[in-house]
Amino acid sequence: MTEAAPSPSPSNRARGALAAGFRRVGARTEVIGPHETGGYRLRLPRSRGETCEAVIVNTGGGMAGGDEAHFAFTAEAGAAVTLTTTAAEKVYRGQQADGRTAGTGVAVDLALAPGARLEWLPQETILFDGARLDRRLSVDMAGDSELLMAEILVFGRLAMGETMRAGRVSDRWRLRRDGRLAYAEDVAIAGDIAAVLDRPALGAGARASASLVMVSGRAEGLVAAARAALEPHSAVTAGVSAWNGLLVARAISPSPERLRAAIVALLSGLRGRALPRLWT
Amino acid sequence: MTPPDAGPSPLELFAWLSPAFPVGAFAYSHGLESAVDAGLVHDAATLEGWLGDLLGHGSARQDGVLAAEAWRLAAAPRPRHDLLGDLSDLALALAPGRERRLETGGTGRAFAEAIRASWPGAACPGLPAEGDVAYPVAFGAAAGTAGLALVPSLEALALAFVGNLVSAAVRLGPIGQTDGQRVTAALLPRARALGGWAAGSTLDDLGGCALRSDIAALQHETLYSRLFRS
Repeated sequence: MTEAAPSPSPSNRARGALAAGFRRVGARTEVIGPHETGGYRLRLPRSRGETCEAVIVNTGGGMAGGDEAHFAFTAEAGAAVTLTTTAAEKVYRGQQADGRTAGTGVAVDLALAPGARLEWLPQETILFDGARLDRRLSVDMAGDSELLMAEILVFGRLAMGETMRAGRVSDRWRLRRDGRLAYAEDVAIAGDIAAVLDRPALGAGARASASLVMVSGRAEGLVAAARAALEPHSAVTAGVSAWNGLLVARAISPSPERLRAAIVALLSGLRGRALPRLWT
Repeated sequence: MTPPDAGPSPLELFAWLSPAFPVGAFAYSHGLESAVDAGLVHDAATLEGWLGDLLGHGSARQDGVLAAEAWRLAAAPRPRHDLLGDLSDLALALAPGRERRLETGGTGRAFAEAIRASWPGAACPGLPAEGDVAYPVAFGAAAGTAGLALVPSLEALALAFVGNLVSAAVRLGPIGQTDGQRVTAALLPRARALGGWAAGSTLDDLGGCALRSDIAALQHETLYSRLFRS
């Protein structure tokens, strides 16, 4: 599927991009680049170990309506990288421009060469009331590479008593393994988001949701451990499944904090080690 | 006065979407069994709400978009049979878990095989001859190949989705036959609306938010005692 060409943008639109490659050098993984534009920077707090830890910094401190960000990361053969963010991302209310409401666009392209391991573990995305987020996440991986990715969406600034009464979320994931589509996810919510999420078959009262995908030869053997990691988190409604070398978990909760705690437990269990320090 | 002749009725739909058509749809509850187990669906009102959400925001809506695309590829003056395999891959990849993948892939494969074996006028050469085919893609391709009108095909598909899950709910026990038929009748206008909307949709319209229903389908895997395969 092809993406629509970018439309002419209002002058206040911020465009940012971050691209980097990761290369195996001896026992280590080194970064190539990065190429940074707009307000995005890549920090490398732990680049000496076998796994390179790379942290995305948004110096703009959130995304407004009309902003667009593009992330492109490539793990070359045998490289191992963990990508995360310094903090939760904030998506502000969409902005009126030329009689239209400009949304916020995020595109993520991940490529994994044979034998590469890549983790895409950004912290949660907090949607302010009126936010319009359009996110495209695309993964192109070799059959014997390994991927772990998770995203958390929070609907409204609950700590401030805010409910998401308007807005739009479109979240499209496409994951190709050896060129063939292996997993796809399309979440679309629009209008009175809180009312939609209150419906029993939809959000059942949730104010935060999470999706996790692991692609690995070990995925199907980890289902029981994943379920066990989620089991104690009674404020979170979750399910785990595995098939065709995929492990998928979905979770929702009225409480973003409790959902985050459950996902931290799940990710730590699947990785067999703690999350990057920024997460905890 | 005699009404103008609208052409032959798409009678094929009655056969293909009948519980007697050998696709085994009766074996799947689409996560409804675990929703009943969790007490989320316990009477006619909660069943109607649950299925209405799936028509408006969930898998039934998604199936409508996918079936419409398959119909267009198969029914075009110059059919794009070469794209049906990719469309089926997309539909299979959108399954949120192992059992829903089994449900759409298994019933779709059985549907395509039954059409190929017995309905030569509807057999679409573009569908993969081996392996699983997503159910809405197999259905849309058959309807398009047979020259059935798009809107009634999609309306009937949506109503059959409702009918199958109402039947599952009756077998699971929270409602009786009469309430089941009331739920089906109450949801018929929404099935019709979905068919009309889906006929004008494109793949860009994919997307839903039946998060709890999807999680129910995942949780079904660990249900202690199960009547259904999903």
